[in-house]
Amino acid sequence: MTRSIFRRHASTFAATLAALSLLALPAAAQEAEHEAASGPLSVEGGLMVWTIIVFLLLLFILRKYAWPAVLSAVEAREKALEDQMAEAQRNRAESARLLEEHKRLVADARTQAHQALLDARTAAENERAAAMERTRQEQDELLERARREIRDERERAIADLRREAVDLSLAAAGKLIGERLDSDADRTLVMNYLGTLDAAR
Amino acid sequence: MRMSGPLAGMVVALGLMCGATPVRAQEHTPRAAELSRQMAEGRHGPQNQIDIVHHIGNAHSIELPIAGTIPLPRFAPLRIGSLAIDLSPTKHLVYMLLAATLVTLVFVTTARSVARAEAQGKPPKGFAGAMEATALYIRQEVILPNVGAHGEGYAPYLLTVFFFILTMNLLGLLPWGATATGNIAVTAALALISFVVIEVAGMRSLGVKGYLSTIFYLPPGLPTAMKPIMLIIMTPVEIIGKLSKPFALAVRLFANMTAGHVLVLALIGLTFLFQSYVVGIGASVLATAIMLLELFVAFLQAFVFTLLTSVFIGLMRAEH
Repeated sequence: MTRSIFRRHASTFAATLAALSLLALPAAAQEAEHEAASGPLSVEGGLMVWTIIVFLLLLFILRKYAWPAVLSAVEAREKALEDQMAEAQRNRAESARLLEEHKRLVADARTQAHQALLDARTAAENERAAAMERTRQEQDELLERARREIRDERERAIADLRREAVDLSLAAAGKLIGERLDSDADRTLVMNYLGTLDAAR
Repeated sequence: MRMSGPLAGMVVALGLMCGATPVRAQEHTPRAAELSRQMAEGRHGPQNQIDIVHHIGNAHSIELPIAGTIPLPRFAPLRIGSLAIDLSPTKHLVYMLLAATLVTLVFVTTARSVARAEAQGKPPKGFAGAMEATALYIRQEVILPNVGAHGEGYAPYLLTVFFFILTMNLLGLLPWGATATGNIAVTAALALISFVVIEVAGMRSLGVKGYLSTIFYLPPGLPTAMKPIMLIIMTPVEIIGKLSKPFALAVRLFANMTAGHVLVLALIGLTFLFQSYVVGIGASVLATAIMLLELFVAFLQAFVFTLLTSVFIGLMRAEH
């Protein structure tokens, strides 16, 4: 804050300082008046004033008409160089950022691919296990059904056979005793007998 | 050092011309004035001594090859209270103005051709190119590295100092020429401007507090009891330190420019003293050698003044 005020008034300070410095002149000026303007060691105040005037005038003219043009080329070049360097720095940061992002993307992609592969493998495994399970169940079912059918068939066959045996034995017995044995009571008798056979077996 | 061939030739010619220049004594008497007039017309007087002080000192007249001694107008001194300043023109002022005019002409034309060449997209050629290269060299190698970061704003001032001093130095090497920088008043005024620029640079970079601490220096952690003692002892030292820099600048330039001229004049004076061809030839050869050295010194001292001012500005800005 104080700094900026100081900056703004720098020219005023400079003028004050210059005025103060000029106060150093009187001694020299008076000396110069006594001696004629000669001798290498006498300080002529008038010449000092002239020097300051001439120098400031020269500085003013050169500052306005000469130095800007003479220095413009190199200043422009310097500025261009500075700009280019800043640009390069920016570009480098940008490319580093992009590279980082690219790396991150590649890593992500790789992770994703890996994950996908893993998932697929797991899914396939699960699928296979499920299929095997299902197959086994179907097999079991088929086996069970076959077993059940065989059992049923057998029982039916046994029953048929038994009925046939009853009929045969009754027919045989009827032939033996010369009469027809086909009443229900006979049939039950044989069946009971066969039932005891069954139980005995 | 490609330039050294033609340059050396020129300087030899210059030295010989200087040797051949009628070196004459001049006292402030009518007789002496008459004598110098006669000598200016080509009639040599019987003098066998030269007034060195006259030759390196200032005068209210200028000497020209054909016109002879031309008196400059004199005004009554300007009085401000008890202060009297004699602003009437002197020989050194005339040569200073000549130097300023030359620098202006050279650099305004250089600026024009640089701008023109730039518009055509080519580097400037010839004299303008050389001047541009010199200015750029001073800027890149002397000013910017020493003034410090963001010191571009000081380049115009320092470049002006360099070329102004250089031209004044070189004008002093011409026959009939006078070295304005061989006058302590001129170098003191230039050093005064340097002083102001150095201090203002400090104010701009350091701010009020920072700048004041370069005068009233208190190291951090100093016990309170010690502070007044420190201020009493160190403040004059700091102020002397500030003033001694421009003082050294002024005296260095003045002494260097004066010394070379005294040496050349003393060598040429030998010829007049001994009135002998052998001594004359020997002295002329030596004087030529010294003139070569002087040419170098003219560049060197302009360079040194610029370099040291840059360094002081840089030191001031980098304080703390």
